[in-house]
Amino acid sequence: MSWPEALKSAIDEFSDVFDPMERYEMLFEWASEVNELPVEEWSEANRIHGCQSDAHVECHLENGLFYMRGGADAQIVQGLMAITCLAVNGREPSEVIDIEPSFVDEMGIKASLTPSRSNGFLNMFKRVQEEAKLLMERE
Amino acid sequence: MPLDVDAIRSDFPILSRKVSGGKDLVYLDNAATTQKPQSVIDAMTSYYEQSNANVHRAVHTLAAEATEMYENARNTLADWFGTTRDNLIFTSGTTEAINLVAWGWARSNLKSGDAVIITEMEHHADIVPWQLLAEEKGIEIRVIPINTEKDILDMDIFEASLPGAKLVCVVHTSNVLGVANPIPEIINMAKDAGSKVLIDAAQAAPHHRLNFSNLGADFVAISGHKMCGPTGIGCLLATSECIEQMEPFMSGGDMIETVTMEKSTFASGPQKFEAGTPKIAEAIGFAAAAEYLSKLDMDEVHHHIRGLAKLTAEKIKSVQGITVYGDHSVDEGSGVVSFLHDSIHAEDLARFMDAGGFAMRTGHHCAQPLLDAYGVSSTNRVSFYLYNTEDEANAFVDHLRYVVEKFGG
Repeated sequence: MSWPEALKSAIDEFSDVFDPMERYEMLFEWASEVNELPVEEWSEANRIHGCQSDAHVECHLENGLFYMRGGADAQIVQGLMAITCLAVNGREPSEVIDIEPSFVDEMGIKASLTPSRSNGFLNMFKRVQEEAKLLMERE
Repeated sequence: MPLDVDAIRSDFPILSRKVSGGKDLVYLDNAATTQKPQSVIDAMTSYYEQSNANVHRAVHTLAAEATEMYENARNTLADWFGTTRDNLIFTSGTTEAINLVAWGWARSNLKSGDAVIITEMEHHADIVPWQLLAEEKGIEIRVIPINTEKDILDMDIFEASLPGAKLVCVVHTSNVLGVANPIPEIINMAKDAGSKVLIDAAQAAPHHRLNFSNLGADFVAISGHKMCGPTGIGCLLATSECIEQMEPFMSGGDMIETVTMEKSTFASGPQKFEAGTPKIAEAIGFAAAAEYLSKLDMDEVHHHIRGLAKLTAEKIKSVQGITVYGDHSVDEGSGVVSFLHDSIHAEDLARFMDAGGFAMRTGHHCAQPLLDAYGVSSTNRVSFYLYNTEDEANAFVDHLRYVVEKFGG
């Protein structure tokens, strides 16, 4: 999978940092870069289940291309959402369905990919892909 | 004599490993599970390397050895918990032990309208089985609330709830607050009211040498893995009277006396409730854990662990934005310190601490009603055990201060 330029540069930025603390600090800062879903739009319908934080995503098409907005009360989760936006926004929904969430691994934040009941990233990514599939079918 | 913590640490190989990019592991998630000393690992390895066989049935040498090791484990643990082998039923842990009381005893001894008392301080494992039983049998559940100002159960409501209660289920020590309940008083009051008593001792057994005979409870549920033993093993201590009254809720091999195509009769005693091939290696490891603890002064163990919790609670209270839950001013209680920062999300905080090498817990700790009572949905939780040091507690506080200063603005 070839990543968009913005995501490539984010991956490079993270890859240069070896200290886990610094990586989390960077993710914390990335939280403000998310295509934000304001708290007023958070609902049970767009809540991501299986996430320790309160996390929400909204997905839609613009001119046939996929876009997501996200928000979470945990900043690191929202930071991961911001990075995910770089990976999926502006793509064909069919491409979004095929994306592997390995970019997080490439960024060296493997712990964030660890499957666990308390880790929402994979649940969030799966939800985004499900939404992409639904939007594609509706088209 | 104070604990020789350096010597203890050398018994736990995992404590020397590095995490998070080469940082020393500071393991502070002991209320979830404790680490295992080499002697427990060796006992289980030795069983698998030398004596692995199924127990109780075959006559060959390995089966005889395995049976002896397994039943000796029951003897060791019965001795450790101040009871007899006939009163110790192996389970997978506290959860299964409580379920065994619900489905093995209460289901056949309680009827519609009978009351079971539980408390707001319970782990889900001591709430959900009673809710399921209530749905099936129509029993009444009476809930004792916690006084969140004092972090103690409302004993007036407890007293008022006792008339007509058939079973009182109460956690010895809270896994969220580290608070120990007045167990002797609760047992005496329940007994005076004619009720049976079940104690969830998951968090207490690692701290104290419980004596089932002296305690006076009818049931005590224990997990091995929270007291240096392996996962997947625990026990239910039950009085002979209650064991007589219990019916098996799991059936199959090992728990029968005879089976015909028409009818089965069951083994007597604990074996009646241990269907299937038992957790042989785990039971052997659990006994090795009790043997390990038996070499230590458990009063000193408790003093050491509680001291670390008190020290940590006191220090982090002064960190800007931190609220500590539970009363850490008293000597009773465990090594648990739950807290929250007012602006850094618990999950973010736990990741920042992990990046510093500190393993801690985040979430509702399977005690959502208790957290609801405090008006929060999750907390951060550190929990100390016998191998933790004051240096580790201080390093934890220092890293927490750093995280709060950097991200708590």
